Amino acid sequence: MTVSVSMTNISKNFDAVRALQDVHIDLFPGEVHTVAGENGSGKSTLLKILAGVIKQDEGQILMDGTQVNFQGVRDSMAYGITMVSQELSLVPHLSVAENVFLGHNQTRNKLGIDWKDTDKRAVEFLKRLNLEVNPRAEVSTLPQHHQQMVEIARAIASNTKVLLLDEPTSSLAPKEVESLFAVVRQLRDEGVAVVMISHRMSEMLDISDRFTVLRDSKFIDTSTRAGVDENWLIDRMVLNKPKKAIHSTEELLKTEVVLEVKGMTDLFGAFQDVSFSLHKGEIVGLAGLAGAGRTELVEAIVGLHPRKAGDVIVEGVIVSHSTRATMNAGVVLVPDDRRAKSTIRDMSIRDNLLLSIHGRPQKQRSRRKEEKIVDEWVSKFKIKMSNPYAPISSLSGGNQQKVVIARCLETNPKVLILDEATRGIDLGAKAEIYQILRDLASKGLAILVVSSELSEIFEISDRVLVMHAGDLTANLARKDISESDVVSAATGVRT
Amino acid sequence: MKRVFKLPSLSSMPPWFGLLVLEVVLIIGMSIIQPAFISSSNLSNIIRSAAIPIVLGIGMTFTILTAGIDLSVGSALAFTGILLSGFITHMPRFAAVLLTVIIVTAVVGGINGILIGKIGLNSFVITLGTLGIFRGISYLVTNGTTRTIDTGTLINTLGDGNWGPIPGPAVVVIVVALLSVWALRSTYFGRDVYAVGGNEFAARLAGVFTSRVKLTVYFISAALAALAGIMQVGRLQSAAPTAGAGIELTVVAGVLLGGTRLSGGVGSITGTVIGLLFLQTVSNSLTIQGVSSYWQQVVTGVLLGAAVLFDRIQVSYASRRKYREESNVTKE
Repeated sequence: MTVSVSMTNISKNFDAVRALQDVHIDLFPGEVHTVAGENGSGKSTLLKILAGVIKQDEGQILMDGTQVNFQGVRDSMAYGITMVSQELSLVPHLSVAENVFLGHNQTRNKLGIDWKDTDKRAVEFLKRLNLEVNPRAEVSTLPQHHQQMVEIARAIASNTKVLLLDEPTSSLAPKEVESLFAVVRQLRDEGVAVVMISHRMSEMLDISDRFTVLRDSKFIDTSTRAGVDENWLIDRMVLNKPKKAIHSTEELLKTEVVLEVKGMTDLFGAFQDVSFSLHKGEIVGLAGLAGAGRTELVEAIVGLHPRKAGDVIVEGVIVSHSTRATMNAGVVLVPDDRRAKSTIRDMSIRDNLLLSIHGRPQKQRSRRKEEKIVDEWVSKFKIKMSNPYAPISSLSGGNQQKVVIARCLETNPKVLILDEATRGIDLGAKAEIYQILRDLASKGLAILVVSSELSEIFEISDRVLVMHAGDLTANLARKDISESDVVSAATGVRT
Repeated sequence: MKRVFKLPSLSSMPPWFGLLVLEVVLIIGMSIIQPAFISSSNLSNIIRSAAIPIVLGIGMTFTILTAGIDLSVGSALAFTGILLSGFITHMPRFAAVLLTVIIVTAVVGGINGILIGKIGLNSFVITLGTLGIFRGISYLVTNGTTRTIDTGTLINTLGDGNWGPIPGPAVVVIVVALLSVWALRSTYFGRDVYAVGGNEFAARLAGVFTSRVKLTVYFISAALAALAGIMQVGRLQSAAPTAGAGIELTVVAGVLLGGTRLSGGVGSITGTVIGLLFLQTVSNSLTIQGVSSYWQQVVTGVLLGAAVLFDRIQVSYASRRKYREESNVTKE
C-alpha cells in the first residue's frame, strides 16, 4: 500500500524567529522529492513537522486526501512516516540490531525479547542495504556511513511508506553516496515516497524526480525533474550571486603573516599535523565535511581543545596553549554552537556583549563607558533589539551572532575565527554578517571562516583550505577553486 | 598496519569486571590477614547488611539509566516502616505489608514519576524535595520516637531470618535482581530505559513513549524502596524515622562504582550488585580490622573517585583507538 501526502499553508515560528511561512508541498509514492534551499530556509523544520517531532502553528497535512493531526512521533509513524534526521538519531551504546528495531519491533517469544531472532532479522534488513556488520556490535563503534544505514534499516523495519531523509549525504564519501542512492532508488521502486534534503547540486539532480525550493522560510517554486537544471535551482535558492573577492590572492600573500599554525596534532586524534598561515586582511574559508576535525582544530588553536603537538604563532611569537593567552595575543573564536558555546541564554544582551572585557582593570570599566561600548556596537552592527537589558535569547539568531562577534571584536583582535557562524540564520542577517566580515578584512583583520556550506565558502573567501579526516587536503587560491575541487578534497578523493 | 595478534582488551570486558576482581582479591586477602573474616557468621553478616542497599541500588539503577536519579529512597524506606507500624495493629500482617507497599509505591513513585516523567522537571530537585517531605512526615507522625513492631516470621525472614540454609535477605536480593535483569534485557520497557538514557531524541523519533518510561522507573524505585523498608523493619524489629538516613548517597556510590553512568544509557544490575557488595565488604573489612567508621566514609569517597577516573581513562582510550581504526578505513 502506498500513500501520497499533501502539506498546505504550513507556518511555524520559534519564539521571534520565523521558520516557515505558508509553505506547501506534495509527495507522491514512488518518487524522490528533493527539498532544496540554503541553510536556515526551513527545510528541516518542514520535515520535522511531517514526522510529528514538532507541531505546525498553521496549515494542514492531508494523507491520501484525509486530514491528519499529528500529536507526536507515534501518530505519524502510524501512517508509515519515518525520518532519518540530520544529527544521527541512534542510541550510541546499544547494539546494531537493537537500533534497527528501536521502538518495539524486536521479535518476542514467551520469555520476552528473542535476541537470536531479532539479531537474525536485523542482519536480513541490513543485507538489503548491502551492509554486513555484526548485529551485536555497539552501534557507536561503526563508521558514520554505516550508522546511517542502520537508521535507514530502522525505517524499513517499521515498514515505512514515507521516508524523510534530512541531509543523508552530508558526511558521506562519493562511493558511500552511491550505495545510499541505490537503496533509495530501490525503496522508491517499491512505492515509497522519499523526501530528501541535500546541499550538493549534482546529487540532487542525480536522484530526484521532483523538486521544491524554499528560500528564507517561504515556498518559492516546485517542478518535476524535466524542467530542472543547476541554474534553475541556483536562481531560486540564492538571492544574490557570489561576489568577486575584494583582493586578488597574489596581492594578499604579499602582506605580512599574522597567524601561523604549525604541526597541530589533536590529543584525541581528530586532526593531525595541520599547518597553515593567515595574512593580514585576508578571509580564508575552511571547508570540509562534518567530523573532519575543523571545529576541534580551531578550538585547539584558541586553547579550548587539548593538543598533542603544534604551535600557534602570532606575529612571530609563540602563544601558550590557553584561552586567555591566545585572546591576549589577539586571536578570538566565534564558536559553532550559539546555544551551548557562545551565548549565556538568560543573561542580558549587554552582559553577553561585555563578557570579554571583564578582565580589564576596574578603572576602565565605568558604567558609562560600558554603556557607550554597547551603544556603539548596536548601532554599528544594526543589532535589532528592544533594550540591552533583555535576555539574549529574545534576539533572532542573526542578532545573537552579531552580539557574539561584537564581544570578540571588543578585545581588539588581529585574527578572528568563525566556526559555522551563519548556521540557522536567515538570509538577510547572513548578508549583513558577510558585509561586516568584508569591512573588517579591509581594515586589516585576518579572518578564518569555518563552514560546511559551499555557497558560503565561495561567497566570502579569498583562499580556501579543505580538511578531510583530520588532514589538511587542499589550499586553494580564489581563482583556482571550483565546487568539484573542494568536494573531492573534502571527501578524500585523490585527483 | 595490521595487527597480527590481539590481547583481550580491557574495554571489551564489562565495566564491573575489574571490581569483581578487586572484590575477590579483597576477600582472599582479608581471610589471610584475619581468619575471622571468612567465618560463616561474618559472611552472612556482610550479605545481610548489603541486602537493603542492593535492593535500593537496583531501583536506583533504573532511574540512573534514564539519566535521572532518585534521592528519596532513604526517606521512602523510613516512611514505609512508620506506615507499617500503624497498619500492623489493625489487620493481618500480610495485608498490612501489602497495603504499605502499595501506598508507598503509589504516593512516592507517583509524585516523583509524574513531576519528572510527565511534566519533565529535574529529577535531582524533585527527589531532593520528596526526600525532605517523607523524612519530615515520618518524624511528625512518630514525634521522633522509634516504634517497636512485633514482626512475625514473614517480615523477619525477609529482613533478617533464614530461608532454609540461605539468609532471607539474600533470597530477596536474588529474586529482585533476576527479575530486574530479565526486565532490562528482555522486555520492550527495559530496552526503552536504555534508549531514553542513551539518546532521548532518538528514542522519541523511534516512537518510544519517553515520558511513560521515565514515569515507570520512579514507580519501580519507590516499590523497591518500600520493599527495603519492610526488610529494615524485619531486621530491627522496629520502625524509626531516622531509618536509612543518608543511605541514598551510599547507594548512588555503589551504582556508579558498578559502572552505571550518571549520564544515562550505560550500566547494569550486575554491576550495581557487585558495586554495593564491594562497598559493604570494604566497610566490614575495616570494621573487623578495628578501623574507625569515619575512615570508611573516606575510603568510599576515594574508591568512587578512582572508579570514575578509571572509567574516563578507559573511555578516552577506546575512543582514540576507534578514531584511528575509522580513519584507517576511510584512507584505504
